[in-house]
Amino acid sequence: MKLSNDADIKQTITRVKDLLNHLENDQIEDAEKVLEDFSIKDNGDLFSEIGKLTRNLHEALSSFNLDSKITDIAASEIPSAKDRLNYVIERTEEAANQTMDMVENCSRMADTLSSDSQELLVEWQKLYKRELAAGEFRKLCKRIESHFKKSTKTSDDLHKALSDVLLAQSYQDLTGQAIKEVISLVHEVEESMVNIIKVFGDMDKYHEAKGKVVKRKEAEGPIVNKDKRDDVVNGQDEVDDLLSSLGF
Amino acid sequence: MKILVVDDFSTMRRIVKNLLRDLGFNNTHEADDGLTALPMLKTGNFDFLVTDWNMPGMQGIDLLKAVRADEKIKTLPVLMVTAESKREQIIEAAQAGVNGYIVKPFTAGTLSEKLNKIFERIES
Repeated sequence: MKLSNDADIKQTITRVKDLLNHLENDQIEDAEKVLEDFSIKDNGDLFSEIGKLTRNLHEALSSFNLDSKITDIAASEIPSAKDRLNYVIERTEEAANQTMDMVENCSRMADTLSSDSQELLVEWQKLYKRELAAGEFRKLCKRIESHFKKSTKTSDDLHKALSDVLLAQSYQDLTGQAIKEVISLVHEVEESMVNIIKVFGDMDKYHEAKGKVVKRKEAEGPIVNKDKRDDVVNGQDEVDDLLSSLGF
Repeated sequence: MKILVVDDFSTMRRIVKNLLRDLGFNNTHEADDGLTALPMLKTGNFDFLVTDWNMPGMQGIDLLKAVRADEKIKTLPVLMVTAESKREQIIEAAQAGVNGYIVKPFTAGTLSEKLNKIFERIES
């Protein structure tokens, strides 16, 4: 087959279009017929070009199939990731509240222990100064005894509360596992998106955008990549320096 | 002294309230964003405002601006306790008339230091 005139070229274009149509519509027999037609005409160059086209088309279609896992991700994995992250919020909130409950209890116990000891110390000093009547001494002894008993119990309670505080920290393990799952999902989504960009998009633009650090105008909560940012302060000292440079 | 603590996370409100109590401030009240806080401030005779920045509804910076724009409460001392740490945000808060700025995570020492500084400045 020669492409020496317009008619030849037009005919070839029509055939190649037909071939692509057949391939895309899974009409393999028809596609084979067109190819046969080409081989009969015996044009090696064109045939190998079509071979390449066919291969490209095949690759494009199969990588698109590969990304049909995006359907699974959108339908089930993302919702389950949302559940996981909500779980993290719930567990951390629960642990924070449990810990604060216990800390508040401990503070109260420590306050009581301290004020009891102070009161007793005043009485005890009266004894040294011989300001204590005989009857009062007996009362003081009783109070000291009950204070000792109470201190022992309070110490036990403090110990128990502190080990509860310790146990409450197990949220770190549980939430850590849930977050790791979400991180691997995010990674999977990233890979699928890159595949789609490879097939349908512009890889140069992708590489260009890759190094960019996302900076948002609005409030964005804690900055997690401070080492990559030049527009944020690092800690309270830098806040104070900035404010004093503004005349604060 | 009557203090309003504004943060959308109840955990953080509780931490701030506990720290304030340790510093001797027992009359503390809570709100979970600017929209809830503003009417409380307008009618509640508060002496001090501690607020977060990033909250749904009305953000802390807008609450600060609303306070400064209200003739009745514009002199209320405002301490911002927030994770927001962009320089331009800190400058924005300063220009809006914030009295102190603490970045999270913070310590009890920092809170006490900033409160004292604010009170010193008000008294002088």
